[in-house]
Amino acid sequence: MKIIIDTNLCYACKTCQLVCSFHHTKAFWPERSSIIVSRNPQDGTIKWRMSTTCDRCINEKEPLCVKYCIYGALQVVKEVKEHD
Amino acid sequence: MIERGDITGCLAGKILRINLSNQNIGTEETKKYAQKTLGGRGINSLIMVNEIASQVKWYDPENLLCFGVGALVGTLAPGSCRVDISTINVFSGGKGSANVGGFWGPELKYAGFDNLIIIGKSRKPVYLYINDENVEIKDASLLWGKDIYETENILRKEIGDEHIKIACIGPAGENRVRGSAIMIDTTKAAGGSGVGCVMGDKKLKAIVVRGHGKIEVAEPERFMRVVAKCYQQCKDEPNTGMMRKSPSNLYSDPEWKGWNTNIVVKNGQDDQWERENRIRLMNCKTGVPNMQKGVRACYSCPIGCMPYMEINKGKYKGSKGEGFWINTIMGHACRFDISDPESVVESWLLTNKFGLDGDYVAAGLSWVFELYEKGIITQKDTDGLELTWGNGDALNKLIKKLAYREGIGDLLADGMVEAAKKIGHHSEYYLIQVKGQPSLEPFRVPKGWALAVSTSPVAGRHLRGATMGGDRYGPKPRPGNFGVTDYQNQAKGVVWQGKTKELEDNLGICNYVGTWSGANFLTIADFAELINSGMGLDLTEEELLNHYALIGRNLEKAFNALHTNMTREDDLPPERFMKEEVKSGPYKGFKIDEDKYNQMLDEYYELWGWDKKTGMQTRSGLKKLGLEDIAEKLVKYGKLIDK
Repeated sequence: MKIIIDTNLCYACKTCQLVCSFHHTKAFWPERSSIIVSRNPQDGTIKWRMSTTCDRCINEKEPLCVKYCIYGALQVVKEVKEHD
Repeated sequence: MIERGDITGCLAGKILRINLSNQNIGTEETKKYAQKTLGGRGINSLIMVNEIASQVKWYDPENLLCFGVGALVGTLAPGSCRVDISTINVFSGGKGSANVGGFWGPELKYAGFDNLIIIGKSRKPVYLYINDENVEIKDASLLWGKDIYETENILRKEIGDEHIKIACIGPAGENRVRGSAIMIDTTKAAGGSGVGCVMGDKKLKAIVVRGHGKIEVAEPERFMRVVAKCYQQCKDEPNTGMMRKSPSNLYSDPEWKGWNTNIVVKNGQDDQWERENRIRLMNCKTGVPNMQKGVRACYSCPIGCMPYMEINKGKYKGSKGEGFWINTIMGHACRFDISDPESVVESWLLTNKFGLDGDYVAAGLSWVFELYEKGIITQKDTDGLELTWGNGDALNKLIKKLAYREGIGDLLADGMVEAAKKIGHHSEYYLIQVKGQPSLEPFRVPKGWALAVSTSPVAGRHLRGATMGGDRYGPKPRPGNFGVTDYQNQAKGVVWQGKTKELEDNLGICNYVGTWSGANFLTIADFAELINSGMGLDLTEEELLNHYALIGRNLEKAFNALHTNMTREDDLPPERFMKEEVKSGPYKGFKIDEDKYNQMLDEYYELWGWDKKTGMQTRSGLKKLGLEDIAEKLVKYGKLIDK
């Protein structure tokens, strides 16, 4: 499975980045998050990046970033593997 | 004084102190201040009362510019992103405070600091660069003169890190325009009290922060349980959806009740705006909603109330940025009778760009428009501008003149009260101001609002207890009578709301997510559980409301008593609203009845524990709060009722 974002629904509140850091460290430590969100208030753009350290929140019912995204911008989808 | 155990979480741990006169940089522990006030504004107020001598004025080097990040900021507590910026109020000479959200506050905590206290003045323009424990005072000569957008872009390029967070002033602050804001993350304004003017006076252009650290909580699992509960409450609260779409959604309905209770037209001549104007401004296809390209949220916020605007036609085509509020409608449209949507949006974007407080611009400049209408000033005085009602282009030109002190802007930049003295001809009567600060607020219809605004310790603003009306709170009514237009029992609601705001500002919780906007958002019980599991304390709702909240308000009250000659008279609404009636609409004939207002004021003083007749603090009241040292100071200046 993988986590995808619809940036049209994203409000750039960075809650996903913050809760992800809590999953990894039991502290609020955005630098240790698997997610990085940035936004430009001048041109309105939002950038959302997921790093390879994401473990889809093993031991949780659903990834915490998805659970806490109140705007519905994040969702879990099944990963389709490409075959030769 | 209540002190239960040690604070073991939520705080970054240190207060950063910077002296711009001698470039000294130092730190101290936050805990001793947080034990008394929890954090944020409370710490700022405590430091100001203790350290600023009574004779110090806002422009003296000894004035402090204090940034206080709330105790819960940096955690996942919903809406915990707020920063209080306190200093001497450039209008009243008493306590100044402006509160702002965004991302700068959390970043300061990740850098290791709960509060930043600036004293002194630099001789040349400087900016601060706080990169964790590495703090530098850097030359800002090349930034001086740049607007907010330019300043941000130059700093990002110079520092080369897209994740830096910036608080800065624009040309208005540099030019010591009284109504200047400190802008956070480009578009979020710490607007009131002239905090940007003080920053400019200190020759401090910007404060750049980058933090790589963490915030830990005392009991992580317990903390996350209450966080999850609070998020669910915000999700379930019916007003969340309304606020997310506000104001474009609500006000696009010309019959929305806010049009009747929130509006001041033509600088206070009426409280009712023509229906055709409402429709033109807020038409879904051709008006403001059509320019809203998205909505953004502050850090860790489950509401998301900030529209991203882009003007897509007309002479302002291409202007864009975050921010369009109910205050924009109240202020930049109704107050000037301007219904041209593009020029209203542009005027708000301009205040952001120049670093001006939008409310000050609305209340101050609409007064200038009225003086023009009455012939007290003419085109000779306005550098040729035709300041007629509805003339949006003239307003936008006047905003620029104000920011850069050009022509008439120079007269207005030293504050409207000062300008009225120079203009004369009874012009001060038409100026809507409280304690010297021009006020955008409605007074004649919503009586709790009028009481809160008139008594606000930071002069004429609504965020110290203004109440929204009973139906907003659904099945969970608040203390007091929330009928918008009633006088009776209104003080109970205002004092309760004022107390909750004290807590919110100490914790750094946005009051949209807190107690202001709906019954199902965060409650005092939620604040207690967040504090207890996060900071490792053991406090009750009663202690929060009747100890910590009282400390916060009493510190500001004491600061005003020590620094000004404010009396009961200064807690009255503007004279005009006690004399002139609303001229049209459903509230035609409404004005403030001075006797009934004074009865509300009596009750208000008593509920805060102050002397009913004078509004002054009492020795016994301060003693109960462990503020005996403040009582002694007040006695020396004859500002305490010794009972």
